[in-house]
Amino acid sequence: MIELTNLTKKYGDFLAVDNLNLTIKKGEVFGFIGPNGAGKTTTIKMIGGILEPTAGTVSIAGIDMQKQPQLAKSKIGFIPDRPYLYEKLTGKEFLKFTADLYGVPENVYAVKAKENLEMFSLADWSDELIESYSHGMKQRLIMSAALLHDPQVIVVDEPMVGLDPVAIVMVKDLLQRLARKGATVFMSTHTLKVAEDTCDRIGVINSGRLIAVGTTADLQREAKVTHADLEHVFLSLTNTAN
Amino acid sequence: MNDILTLLKPRIWPLTNRRLRRRSRCGSKLKLFFFASIGAIFWCAVFVVSLRILSYFRGIEEVGDILGYKLLSMILIVSFALLIFSSILTSLSKLYLSRDLMLVHAMPVPSYKIFIARWIDSTVESSWMVIIFTLPIFCAYGIVYHSGAFYYANTLMALVPLIVNASAISTLMVVIAVILIPATRLKSIFILLGILFFVVIYLAIRLSRPELLVDPEVFDTVMVYITSLQTPSSPFLPSTWAYDSIRAGLSGTFSDGLFHTALSWSFAATMVFFLVVVADAMYFKGFSKTQTAASRLFKNRLTDGQYFNFLPGPVKSFTVKEIKTFLRDQTQWSQLFLIAALVIIYIYNFKVLPLDKSPIKTVYLQNLLAFMNMGLALFVLTAFSARFAYPAVSLERQAFWLVKSSPLSLRSFLWIKFFIYYVPLLILSEILVITTNLLLQVTPFMMVLSTITVFLLVPGIVAMGIGFGAAYPDFKAENPTQTVTSFGGLIFMIVCAGYIALVIGVEAGPVYHLFMADIRGKSLTYATWAWILVSFVITFTISLLAITLPMRYGENRLSRLLI
Repeated sequence: MIELTNLTKKYGDFLAVDNLNLTIKKGEVFGFIGPNGAGKTTTIKMIGGILEPTAGTVSIAGIDMQKQPQLAKSKIGFIPDRPYLYEKLTGKEFLKFTADLYGVPENVYAVKAKENLEMFSLADWSDELIESYSHGMKQRLIMSAALLHDPQVIVVDEPMVGLDPVAIVMVKDLLQRLARKGATVFMSTHTLKVAEDTCDRIGVINSGRLIAVGTTADLQREAKVTHADLEHVFLSLTNTAN
Repeated sequence: MNDILTLLKPRIWPLTNRRLRRRSRCGSKLKLFFFASIGAIFWCAVFVVSLRILSYFRGIEEVGDILGYKLLSMILIVSFALLIFSSILTSLSKLYLSRDLMLVHAMPVPSYKIFIARWIDSTVESSWMVIIFTLPIFCAYGIVYHSGAFYYANTLMALVPLIVNASAISTLMVVIAVILIPATRLKSIFILLGILFFVVIYLAIRLSRPELLVDPEVFDTVMVYITSLQTPSSPFLPSTWAYDSIRAGLSGTFSDGLFHTALSWSFAATMVFFLVVVADAMYFKGFSKTQTAASRLFKNRLTDGQYFNFLPGPVKSFTVKEIKTFLRDQTQWSQLFLIAALVIIYIYNFKVLPLDKSPIKTVYLQNLLAFMNMGLALFVLTAFSARFAYPAVSLERQAFWLVKSSPLSLRSFLWIKFFIYYVPLLILSEILVITTNLLLQVTPFMMVLSTITVFLLVPGIVAMGIGFGAAYPDFKAENPTQTVTSFGGLIFMIVCAGYIALVIGVEAGPVYHLFMADIRGKSLTYATWAWILVSFVITFTISLLAITLPMRYGENRLSRLLI
């Protein structure tokens, strides 16, 4: 469903992502972890079509992002780490804006918007301007908008930032439920517990290079540690790489 | 005191850190030189014009000095009013709305110290430009009145308390007002009131036809005029104290000068003391109130998008979003008032033109003015495009990721922006040109020519606004509408002016021949027809290029932008 081939990104002389090769299957929840500045957000932005790779390709549901960016993007629900939105729209208007942009029919929009607003506890705030929302509310609004068009691929950068514990549990369940229905989830996170609980496979990126991929058990073997949690595995892998 | 200095350091250090930025941004030296040159030219122009006006005044017997002093008094009153208005907006932003305030208030520093540091910052930021650009006027006064070193020193000493007084009065009003009205709303209200005030004054002055003052026929006696000039300003205004002090400096009366300067300083010191006492009691309360969520002023459903159902989904979504965002931003309303005033004055100017008094035959003058009016109207359109079309892309702010991640190409996004601004600006330009032509009673030929030329040029000017705005966006600007003062904005205005001048220049010759043939009832030669045809083709081609090239340039640059 998501295929990254020799994906490379350079900022001037700085190599942010180095020859990344990765395939994520349909219905899989894939976690992407790494230290600060490792290249997670850059990779996420290239998958979302926000950033052009220096080399390599991104394929979404068999569609090449560089060749058919609009079609590829229409398959994605993109959730960034910082919830920048149109502050002068209301929550409901923002959902309508997104629905129109992704070509969601009016009748589907009406049902999905109501469902999503209730699911993310935003129904009471839907007629208020976004500028009056808290950080967590904006994050929840972005999520409800990203799911409006039933995306085949969900790309999430730090999904739990700003969310309260109830919302974190809800989002974790939601992502797994969507994956069971056939959606592919690609998420980057610093919260290793979230990755451990939610993801089928995890990729560890360090200094722009993918240093390990697999289930938690696979990573434990790779790090040559037994019965350790993901935090210890992560530290062991990144220390070895450095 | 150390805490206050520390709090001011984040404002001072970026100035000294410029050398670090220069290393990373190669074009910055050129930009700095460009802006410095424009500033220097403007400064010199103010100086030369002031010098000429004051020399002229001094040459007039009896009333020369009265005129010079009256002008000085007006300059100080206007400067004081500008300082007050500027300080209100700056202090609101600095004290209540800046993004770093949360961080600063979380630090172990008493709120009154934060207040003082912010107030100093606000005073400097709100006044430096007013002072720099009034200095050449005061220098001109010194030269024309042959004043000595005391005048210059005393003028500087009189200007400092004028700034402090304006800033202290404004900030005091703001600190009290924020307790009653949330700061975000207060800023919009002040901007709205300020612009409305300006519009009313502007309209009142223009509609009173000040040009008649130079017409001796309307004056019964010279004495009435002189008496009206000698009316003193209010003794309670800080600008009056500054005026009295500077005037004394000009005439070389030291004791008077020092007395009025000391009066200004003593009031400034009292105001600052009073301000700090009030701020200590009220500033933090006001800041806390600002942290609460803003509620909506009006909950209208006028623009729910049902009128745009004929548009494709992405086009509709951006159109509706753009209109709603525009209508809900109160600062935009004030701009609309300003535009309405400018349009009224523009049309009114044509209505009161004394064409019958001109020695040139009226029919020529009417049509010559109509031809020039095309250019003028297009320059007005450039100003509107600079205000609305140019910042259109930057107005996406940091939500631009939504556009980049959406299934909408950047090209479509820019064309949507183009059409959103093209339609109203076209209507506005055509109204301007047709109304003024009707007032001028031009020939049908000139009416058709103006309408078609404007119709051809408006898309090019709007495309330049959108294209250059996309090529030089600033998604992090606190006020994106001010991005037109950036390097990209200047390029946009220069290219636009060149485009208008080129088209008017290409059209001038053929239009003259066509017009004269029409007036004289003669037919044109084949050579003239060929010239007219070539001119039209050139105008059409330039206009097509003016639409496509900037849009493509903007798209290319925007697609390479890292967000």
